[in-house]
Parts: sequence; structure tokens; C-alpha cells
Amino acid sequence: MTRYLSLYWLFLTQRLKVLMEYRANFIIGALSTIALQASSILAIWVVMRQVPDLNGWTYDEILLVYGLITLAKSINHMFADNLWTLGRQYIRSGGFDRFLVRPIDPLFHLLADRFCQDGVGNFLVGVALVVKASVALGIQWTLLKALMLVAAVVSGGGIFIALNLLTCVTSFWIVDSVPVTRLVFDNHLFAQYPLTIYPKAINILLTWIVPYGLASFYPASYLLDRSLGNLAWAAPVAAALLLFLGYRFWQFGLKHYGSTGT
Amino acid sequence: MRALRRDLSIYLSIFGMTPKVFMAYQLWFWIGLVLNTIGMAILVFFWRAVYADTDSVAALSLQQTLTYILLAQIFFPLTDVDLIFDFGFNLREGNIIHFLLRPINFQGMYYVQNLSSLMMRLILQIPIAVVATLLFGLQWPTDPATWGAFAVSALLGFTALFFFHWFLACLTFYTTEVWGLGVLIFGMSLFLSGSLVPLTMMPGWLQTVVLSIPFAQAIAVPVSLLTGITPLIQAPLVWLTQLAWVTGMWLVSALFFRVAVRKVTVQGG
Repeated sequence: MTRYLSLYWLFLTQRLKVLMEYRANFIIGALSTIALQASSILAIWVVMRQVPDLNGWTYDEILLVYGLITLAKSINHMFADNLWTLGRQYIRSGGFDRFLVRPIDPLFHLLADRFCQDGVGNFLVGVALVVKASVALGIQWTLLKALMLVAAVVSGGGIFIALNLLTCVTSFWIVDSVPVTRLVFDNHLFAQYPLTIYPKAINILLTWIVPYGLASFYPASYLLDRSLGNLAWAAPVAAALLLFLGYRFWQFGLKHYGSTGT
Repeated sequence: MRALRRDLSIYLSIFGMTPKVFMAYQLWFWIGLVLNTIGMAILVFFWRAVYADTDSVAALSLQQTLTYILLAQIFFPLTDVDLIFDFGFNLREGNIIHFLLRPINFQGMYYVQNLSSLMMRLILQIPIAVVATLLFGLQWPTDPATWGAFAVSALLGFTALFFFHWFLACLTFYTTEVWGLGVLIFGMSLFLSGSLVPLTMMPGWLQTVVLSIPFAQAIAVPVSLLTGITPLIQAPLVWLTQLAWVTGMWLVSALFFRVAVRKVTVQGG
């Protein structure tokens, strides 16, 4: 474990050196995700000026939900973005083969190979939204609520990574896994808003099948002392279970990997 | 025998590659349809929740807003101009030199190419238009004059946006950055094009900001004509304004290109 931590640090410092060579690109990359989020937040603001609430959720409460999912997404974006490129950049080009002849876990190597600076923008937006919402709503912070906030962000990040891992493994068979990953990943967009605005089927999907709701709606409900909030404690369990399944599926896929011959 | 088995396994892998390539394109088409449906579903449920306790928001009914939002999603390809990524790719690969040397107007060539891509993208939107009609109850305008006014406005808006993108793509000659810049522009266009919220719902100062950047010319302006939010009688004035945008952006983009092209540094090829 210590070896992998020190290795990750080495990979990260190398990556940061590369990024700092192109500072303008680093800044534009981080700003790009801020612009993307700003578009949606501005749209919510425009709409919420016209109505007092959205199914009982005020503007600031919606910002809390939106901020939590953005924070969880940023963990995945910064530390596991390379899962998206497994098929296109590593398997198709034959570059993945070099991971297999090195004395470290190939999955670790894939993840450590690229820290994604674009995720920094998402992280900053997420922090800003949660702080803004917390102040505006006057949330009374207790030890349990602080613990919930950390658990929601870390577990939420774990859920994002695990679902991307489960879907990116398909690239061992179909080479380009991006469409499959997006098919699952885009469901997180539902979880940017309170789940109560959707029909029951979507609630079940977002809670029990692709549980992005555990990273946003349920922890927000807990922090706001709303009903259903206690379900947020299921997030760490769901994240651990999905990560375990994802890693086992990765090992299964790896056994069936045949190089593209490039 | 072992060698034969080994050879067979290699040839079998090669044989399996072509179906994978074909499958990838098929997969993208169908998954693209599902992703568009997800995006539309979120917007529809969101707007239904907004109208849960009211009949009208900024003088628009739920049906009017849904019609505007769904049509804006269907015609979103009007904002799809890939110049930033194209310029970045051509810089990286060195192809830009060949384009600059060809005895044809570089900008004209790209305009025609992007217009052709737009036609294809709009044709490919037909399945999602069917989904919007059957699943989300989209009510299509039926007046031919409205469609005519929309078509002229959409073409002018797309052209203005093409020249604006040309201007932005010239920035890659200085930054060499493509991905972040592309995402930044896409992020801005989502809101500024008016595809998420009708312009009439925005406060006055924000409408002024949105209308002073060309993104809205490609979506909000033509779709407002199509949905009747902007009365048909105002169409000539709308076209004239758009024509001014086209002329202004064409001049600015052509002038900036003449300056920026001197900074071209080919990275490879």
C-alpha cells in the first residue's frame, strides 16, 4: 500500500510538471468545466427566480444537491478520468500492452497515468455551491453531518469510479467502451436535481441500480433533516460493493484481453 | 499442431476486428439516441415540476415552454461547429500547411463542409424528433410561413456562429490548446444559445448580455420564431439583425485570421 502511495505521488508530480509546462492550457482546462457547470446553474437561477420552489425544494436546497453531485463527480474526474480513454488511447493503439509487462497492477498504472486537471474546475464549483447553500440555508453543522458530507463526497466519487470501471472493461471486447460508459454515466444528470421531481421508476434506478442519488439527493436530504435522509448512510456500502464488483470484472476482462495487434 | 492452433487464434482475432469496428458505429448511433432521450427527459421532468403550482411563467404556458425546449434540443446541431477541434487537429498533424497552400478559399471550404455536416446532423436528429413527439408530446408548428421564416433565420444564425467559431478557432494558433477551449466554448454555448431556458424568462440585463454574443442567433432567435414566441410579423427585422451579425462576424473573423495565421506553429506531420 505504501509502495503504491509513493508510486502515485511520483506519477502525480511528473504529470504536474508536464501540466505546468503548458500553464495556459492548465488554466483553460480547469475553467472549461467551470463554464459547463455555470451554464446549468445560471439556467436554474433564471428559472427559480420565477417560482418559489421545485416540488418543495428551494433554490439553495437545489444548489446543495447540485454541489454534492459535482463534488463526487470531480473525484472521478481528477483521479479516474483515464478509464474513459482505456479503449481509444491504450487498447486500440496497443499501448495497454506496456502496462502488462511492468511490475505494478495494470489498473493502478492506468489510473495513475493521468491526473485530469479539468476535474479541478468541477471540484471548485462543487465546494463553492455547498458552502453557498450551507450559509444560505443556515445548516446547523454537527459531527455526524460533517461526517456525512465527507462520506457522501468520497463514496459518491467511489460510485462514479466503480460504474465507469464496470463499463470501461467492455473495451477488452469491443475496443471503444465510451458509448457504453456514457450510457450509464449520463444518468448522473438526473441526480443534479431532487429525485422527487421524477417518476418512481427513475427514483428506483438512481437509488438501487446506478445509485448516483446516494451521492447527491439523499445526503442533501440528511443535511437538511428531511425524510429519506438516513438512506444516505448506504452510500459507503454501495460504493464499496460496486468497487469490489468493478475490480473483479476488470480482472475477468483482463484475462480475456487479446491485443489489437497494433 | 500447436503452431497451427496459434496461427488460427491470431487470424481469428484479426477476423474479429472488423465486426468490432462496424459495431462501434452502430452502437454510437443507438446509444446517442438513448443519451438524447435522457437529456430530454430530465428537461421535461424539470419543467413539469416548475409548472406544478402555476399555469404561466414569464407569460409562457407549460406547453409553449416544452415546445421551445424540445425544438431547441432537436435543432441544437445548429450550434455544432467543429472548427476549434479541426484547427487543433490540423495544427498537430501539420495538415494546415496543405490547406493554406490550396488554390481555394480556406474559410469558404470550411463553411461548405460545416454546412454539409449540419444537414447530416439534422437528418440524424429525426429519430430523437420522433421520440420527442411520441414520448414527450412535442407539438410541431404547422404553418408553412413560420417554417420558412425559421429556415432563413436558422441559416443566418448558423452562418454568424460559423464566423464567430472561426474567430475563436484562430486562438488555437496562439494557445495550441484545443480540448479545454472546445469544452469552454461548448459550456458557454449551452446557456448563451438559449437552449436551456427561453430568453423571455431571463431578466432584462441578462437578455442584453445573451443577445450581444452570437450563440443565441443560432438557437434562441430562430426557435423563438418557430414557436411563435417572436411573432411572424417581426421576421424581416430578425433577419436584418442576423444579417448584420453575419457581416460583422465575417469581417472580424477574416481580419483576425490574417493576423493570427502568422503565428501558426505546426507541431508535427
